[in-house]
Formats: sequence, C-alpha cells, structure tokens
Amino acid sequence: MKQEAVARAVGQPAVASRPRIQLPYLSFLYVNKNAKWAMVILLPILLITFLAPFLPLQAPLESNIRASLNAPSLEHPFGTDKLGRDVFSRTLSGIKVSLFVGMTVALISLAFGIALGTASGFFGKTVDRVIMGVVDIFLAFPSLLLAIGLVAILGAGTVPVICAISLADVPRFIRLQRSLVLSLKSRPFIDAARTVQAPRLWLMTKHIVPNTIAPLLVAASITAANAILIEASLSFLGLGILPPEPSLGNIIKDGQVYLQQAWWISTLPGAVILLIAISLHFLSDGIREALDPRARK
Amino acid sequence: MENGATAGTINRPAGKQASLTQPLLQVQDLHTHFFTESGTVKAVNGVSFELQRGERLAVVGESGSGKSAMAMSLIQLIAYPGKLVSGSIRLDGKELVGLGEPELNKLRGSAIGTVFQDPMSSLDPVMRVEDQMIQPIRMHLKLGQKEARKHAVDLLTRVGIPDADNRISAYPFEMSGGMRQRVMIAMALSCRPKLILADEPTTALDVTIQAQIVELLKTMTETTGSAMMFITHDLGLVARFAQKVAVMYAGKIVESGTVGEIFSSPKHPYTQSLLKTIPSVSGEKRRRLLQIQGLPPDMKLHITGCSYKERCPAASERCYTDAPELMPREGGQSAACWLKNGLMTEGYESITTLLSQGEKPEAKEGWNRIPLNGSVSEQPDSPGDDNVVLRITDLHKHFKKASLLPWKKGAEIRAVGGISLKLQRGETMGIVGESGCGKSTTARMLLGLDEPTSGRIEINGSIQIVFQDPYSSFNPKMKISDIIAEPLHVRKIGTKEERLRRVRELIKKVGLDLSYLSRYPSQLSGGQRQRVGVARALALDPSIVVADEPTSALDVSVRAQIINLLCDLKEEMGLSFVFISHDLSTVRYISDTIAVMYLGEIVEYGPAEEIFVHPAHPYTKALLAAVPVPDPMIEGERTIEQLRGELPSPANPPAGCAFSSRCPHVTAKCTERKPPLRGYLERREVACHAVS
Repeated sequence: MKQEAVARAVGQPAVASRPRIQLPYLSFLYVNKNAKWAMVILLPILLITFLAPFLPLQAPLESNIRASLNAPSLEHPFGTDKLGRDVFSRTLSGIKVSLFVGMTVALISLAFGIALGTASGFFGKTVDRVIMGVVDIFLAFPSLLLAIGLVAILGAGTVPVICAISLADVPRFIRLQRSLVLSLKSRPFIDAARTVQAPRLWLMTKHIVPNTIAPLLVAASITAANAILIEASLSFLGLGILPPEPSLGNIIKDGQVYLQQAWWISTLPGAVILLIAISLHFLSDGIREALDPRARK
Repeated sequence: MENGATAGTINRPAGKQASLTQPLLQVQDLHTHFFTESGTVKAVNGVSFELQRGERLAVVGESGSGKSAMAMSLIQLIAYPGKLVSGSIRLDGKELVGLGEPELNKLRGSAIGTVFQDPMSSLDPVMRVEDQMIQPIRMHLKLGQKEARKHAVDLLTRVGIPDADNRISAYPFEMSGGMRQRVMIAMALSCRPKLILADEPTTALDVTIQAQIVELLKTMTETTGSAMMFITHDLGLVARFAQKVAVMYAGKIVESGTVGEIFSSPKHPYTQSLLKTIPSVSGEKRRRLLQIQGLPPDMKLHITGCSYKERCPAASERCYTDAPELMPREGGQSAACWLKNGLMTEGYESITTLLSQGEKPEAKEGWNRIPLNGSVSEQPDSPGDDNVVLRITDLHKHFKKASLLPWKKGAEIRAVGGISLKLQRGETMGIVGESGCGKSTTARMLLGLDEPTSGRIEINGSIQIVFQDPYSSFNPKMKISDIIAEPLHVRKIGTKEERLRRVRELIKKVGLDLSYLSRYPSQLSGGQRQRVGVARALALDPSIVVADEPTSALDVSVRAQIINLLCDLKEEMGLSFVFISHDLSTVRYISDTIAVMYLGEIVEYGPAEEIFVHPAHPYTKALLAAVPVPDPMIEGERTIEQLRGELPSPANPPAGCAFSSRCPHVTAKCTERKPPLRGYLERREVACHAVS
C-alpha cells in the first residue's frame, strides 16, 4: 500500500520487480517441482472430498445388506463392506476428518510453538529453563505412546484425538522455534534495531517471528502428514474416532477381518492415506526449496 | 579437442618474440557459465592468456568479475551449477579440458597447488594438520609414511611455522588464521607444483599478517621456481607482489601487461579509473575522491558492445555496438578498448576531468530539520559548551570466560582496557587496529549494545551506526522504506505521512532513486544497500555516526562512492563520525584525528595527517609499512620492516607494554612497566617508553 502511494506520488509506476517469495503470493506452488506434485495429488482429493454431498453416492452410514462385500464397480468405486456400506463414500468422509485433524494439529502446534518458543529463545534464563524443562519431559515419550495414553484419559472422539496429537507435537515446535530464535538473535539486524532502542515486543514481532515462518511452515506441513497418520493409527486401534462415524483408520480396521475376501475395504483407504501423506511431504519440500535462499539463486 | 587446431595460433603479446620454450600455461577462449534457475551467468566469458614458468601473474577484478570462477576453471573445481562450457587450458602443452576426474585429481595437488581465500574453512577442522598434509604427499610423491612426514615438517619450517615437528600434530583450530594460511601454503607447495593458484590468500587476514604471507609467497615462488596466479582485488598487493597483471571486468580480461606498464601507463578506462579512485596511504591527499559511476553489469544479461560502456566517461557510439577485443599496445601490454590510450587520450590530466564529470552537480540543498513530534535531539545545541559531542572516560570492557571447573574462576578477557577519547562536533575520528584490538567492542559500547564494565560514555545528542555488512544488518523480510523508517517508527516520531516524507527525503539524500523504497534488501547491490544503511542511520538526525568498516564489504569501484557520500554528509550536516576500519588508506582520507588501538588500548592518538606522515609508536609504524601501496616503484624501493609473530591473546597479554612481544625495539623496561599514554609533540599522545 505504502510504497505504491510513494510511487504514485512521484509519478512513477509501482516497481515491477516483485519480492521473490512472500507468503501471500503462493506463486511457488506452480513454479516449484515438488510443490507441483503435491498440488497434482492434493487438489483432486480435496475437490472430490468437498463435492461428495453433490455426487450420486450412497450416504456413508447407509447400509445395504444385499450388497455386502461387493467388489469395486462403477456404482461403488471402492467396493462395499460387510454391511453393504459404500467404502468410497466412507473414505471421502474419513478424509474430511483426517484433513481436519491434520490442519488443526498443525495450527495448534504453530501457535503454541511460536509463542512459547519465541519467549524461550528470546528471554533465555529462567523463562527458557522452565519452558525447556517441560518440553524435555514431553519429548521423552514416543509421540504415539503419549497420544494413546492421553486418549485413554480423555476418551475417544475427534477433539480428544486432536488434543492428544497436539500435545505430542507442540514440544517439537517449541524446540524448533527456540533454536531459530537463538540463531536470529545474534544477527546484525537485531543489533541494528536495538541501536534505535526498539522495544522487545517490536524485535520479536517485526524481526524475529517473520524470519522464522518459513522453516516453521515446512515443519507444519510434515506435522500435518504425521498427525493424519497418528489419527489413523489411533482409530485403527479403536482409540480415535469411534464407529459408526467413518475415519480412514477405522475403515481399515473394519476391512482387516475381510482382507482375504475383500481386499478393497482396507487397501484403497490405506492408499489414500499414503497419497495424502506423500503429497504433504512434497509440499513441505516445495516450501523449503522456495524459501531457501541458496536454492533460490 | 576442437581447439587443437587453434592452439598453434595463440596470440602472443605483440613485441615479444615467441620464445622457443613453451609457456607453462596457455588458456584459450575460456568460457565458464553458471546455469542458475533465474538465468545463465556468464562468469567467464572468453578469457585467453599465457603464463611463463616461474612467473607471478596477478588477476585483479571486483567480486563478480569472474576472476575466481576463472581460477577454479583451471583446475575444474567449479561450484554447482557452474560448468566449463568451452575453451582450452594447456599445462605444459597438455590439454586439461576434457580430462577425466581421476586424471584431474592427479594434477590438482601435484602439478597445480591451490591456496584458498579463507584458511578458517579450507582446512578440515576434525583432522590433524599432519593427516591432511601427509596423505597427498604420499600419494603424489610416492613416499613412505616417515619420509612424507619429514617432508611435511620441512615444508612447515620453510613457511615459517615455529616448532613444526610438534605443530604438525595440531588441529587447525589450535592455530591462528595466519598460521593456517601458512599451512595451506605448505600444502600447496608440498608436491612441488609447477603452478600455484592463490585465490585472495590474504583477504581474511590482518594487514601485518598479510604482509608476512605475501613476503612468504614471494620467496617461495622464487626459491621453488613455481609460477603463480594470484587473484586479488587489492591493487596495492599487486604492486608489491606481481610481475604481470591481468585486469578482469565482467568475465573478460580488459587489460594485461607487466606491473610497471599497468601502473605507470594504464590503457583501459577501467584500470585507469581504479588507479585514480583508491585513496592512498602516502602522497598528497585529494580533497574529494574521484569515483567511478554506476555498477558492474548484470552477468545474466547479454552484453552488446563493451561491458564497461555505461560507466566509462569516454564511451562513444561505437562502444555500444561493437565489443573491443584485447588488442596489443606498446610493450607487452594489451587492452580491450577502442581508444588507444583510454581516458588519457587527450593527455595525462584528461582522466581527472573526465572522472570528475561524474560528481553530483546538484545544488546542495540545505538539510532541513523537519520538526517532528517528539523531537529527537534530546539536548539543544548550547553554544557555551566546548562543542564536545562525545566524551569517553576510562572505558573498560572485560568478558568473563566460564571455567570448565565450576569452583575455579574463569579467565578474563580484557577486550577494551581503559580508553579515554573526546570527539568535537563535525570532527571525524578514525579508530584503526587489527582484528581483536577492541575497536568493534568500543563501537558496540558507544551504541549501547554492550554494557561497559566500567568507565563513562557521555553523548551530546544521539548516536547511530552504519554497519559493516549492510546485507546482514537489514531484516530480509522488510522493504527498504520500512528499514529506513524503523528508527522513527519505533520511537513513535511523526505520523505515517510525515515519516514517509522523511524517508523519501533521506533516500534522495544518499543519492538513490525513490523506486528503491519498495524493494527488498536482496534486490539491491552492495553499494546501494550501504547507501540505505547510511540513510537509516541519519533518520533520527544523530549528532554522531559510528561507521564500523562501512566499505570493507564493498567492491573497490564502489568504495569511493560511499566514502564521498559520507564526506558530503559530514560537511552538509555537521555530523561527527567515528570511523572504524582496518583499511588505513580510507581512514587517512576521511579522518581528522586517529586513534591506533592495540590489544584494547590506545597506543597512539593525534591528527590524522601527522600520524600518517610521522608515526611515532612502533606499532603504528609497522601497521603503515604493512599496507601495500598501489605503486610498484614505491613498493620496489620499500624495505618492509615486518612485524614478527602474531597478535597475542587478549586473555593473556604480555606483561608490561602489550606490544612488547612483537616490538622491534623492545627493551627490558618494556616487559616490566606498561608505558602510559603521554603527550607527544603538540597535539599527539603516544604510549611508548622509547618515544618522548
């Protein structure tokens, strides 16, 4: 806004050369090879998932005993399960849950990671010791185990699953953010701002956090993929999203018994999880490449 | 291989008979390109030259001129995404282009030795020196473990490493920068190479150490008979060291000749301007530095015509259409310019007139101090005051190093050990000294970035800084307009519109176009960034500006522009400067007074001219002697009194006078009592027992 006003005021066209990568400009998604692959996989999945209500599909919970364990066909692209429910429509519904869990966990981790990690790295001393102490305790547990334990306490369902997975991921983000802040803190431009007596809040919000967003986004997209996998694992173990509400994990669990007669029930939703996870990893590689100054030049 | 046919018809420099013996190195039409995502950078764009046996050739050029890429092309160690595209390199008549990796590996380290720029990063930090040295010796010279070690110790002794037999088992981090560079030189020499490539071997070192290393390289090539290609941007070093010079600009050699020819009668406008624009340590002092306008061309774009045309005051229409080839001139000299004598076509003095045309002709508009809410200058100018803007009294800064054992007291490093200084309004004080002398710590304390351990700093008005590396001192995610406005923004001075007005005024002040305001730091060149750094420092209308090595990260041809800018601002705004640098010639040019620091203390203080003409302290003398002068005549006559040894560690300074461990005139008194800073002549102060 401002610079355009300047340019207009002096009768110059706004400068043509744009900043290479700014977060609002997602140009890298079609320039970058990795990101392109991510989009090629993710976009169709998203499109079908959100168009599901408008597609001529059997409702996810509707059963039809006469069509039990049907092989994939045009009518039922992923076949049907024991109760004659349409696996494709259940899978789409499961994807919605998975993506919701993945996104929410990533956002929660980002928010807590930025807040606590920045405080820890920037203030150091007691603040750092307290935050890091708690973080280290959480990091001592394997994340799946921690999630299982928490779900056991909180009970099953979408919200407890999100809480459980976040609690395992937030400490990693705090660590990451702290290390980023520590390396930024000694950069000359922080000194430059300190020489004009910039307050600490200014340093953190204007100089430090904007420069940590790139690596955090890379981590966030991997975390989203990870959260989707953990949610599926928890649901598979009967601890996550409970039937009859479909989730990719419990669909696979349902199909496990019939693996020999009806391979499609478990295998096809499994393949979907794989595709989503891979595309999110591609996306994170894409973001990293787009934001890495060495790869840029 | 297609070059085989042309190899017989290499242009020999005119006037020189093709000798019967073949030259050691023949490079013909070398092209090295870097294939980046945003375009092809033609770093080396048709370079041809020859190097005779035992000859020392200096390749001079700014960063981006392709000099390093050219050197690395010779041993074909080009960083990704670079590629040797075409050309021929013949070493002893043997074609190197097209050789396989195993054969090249045999050549590197045996026939061609290499000394890299940064001795800190070119040695493996987790390997002992002996392990790094002995392996290649055994491989290339086919010696046994024992003989190889003996050979290595021999070499280390020859390059001046004391107690080499023990030092050879040290790790690189146990050695200083100068020592490591000696090790690198020993390694380069270890397999008796015919050619040594030295890529800015002294740039990372202090002046006194640089003088030692250059002498070493000179004697080493003389005693071993190796030829050397020495890459540098420092014309002074060229004059001290080289026999032949090749000047590179935009990927091409624009001028070549012997040192004498290049310095006494340069033929290419670029060489001529460079020699005119560098401030010198000796000789008459110019009122204003001549400067080369503009910037080097973007190597990604196709260049039609001469690559120097935009910056050349004598460019004609022809320069925009046809690119001049390297054409022979008198003697062994050749230059790539349509004009026979470049800028000196109409006599020797015409160059000065031509270069001064570039000076900014605009009428100097007065610096109007815009009244902003919450004015910055805390103290109004009081005419009664004796005009002192900065007074430092007995300033100390000690860093405590934690000891490994918790109950033991850690070592204390006296970074600054009691300095007192005074700065008048409008005065510029230069602080010089080698790295580790405490000059940057002093600057940090002045700016309030570090708390002094003891002592007082009194500032009348406010103080701002211009950083050494403008790139790292800007937040890469902020626009230039926000960077300049930040000081005002942080202090909540003015409304948004007022700040914007101020920013526009500031950027014009430092000679940049308004369109730069909406760019990001990565889109600016080094010189432009430093201008922005200056604008930012001026935003709060300070009374003092600290400039911490403001030109050392810049290219030679841009330095003069920044120095002139600082001088102009000083005159216009009555600013006081604290100018910190190890570049003595720049300090001399810009400063009124000079403080020479050694190990956290001031050893000599006084008016700049007097100190440069008649230095009193032995350290000042050594420092001045170590700076190479860009004139081979002076350099040839000078006997350089080299400073022995290295800078002692500030954690463990010598007893008595801090300089006693390196001083050529040391007496028993010096090691017992520390000499105080005493008055000397009329306006000077010196800390030395021998000076009174």
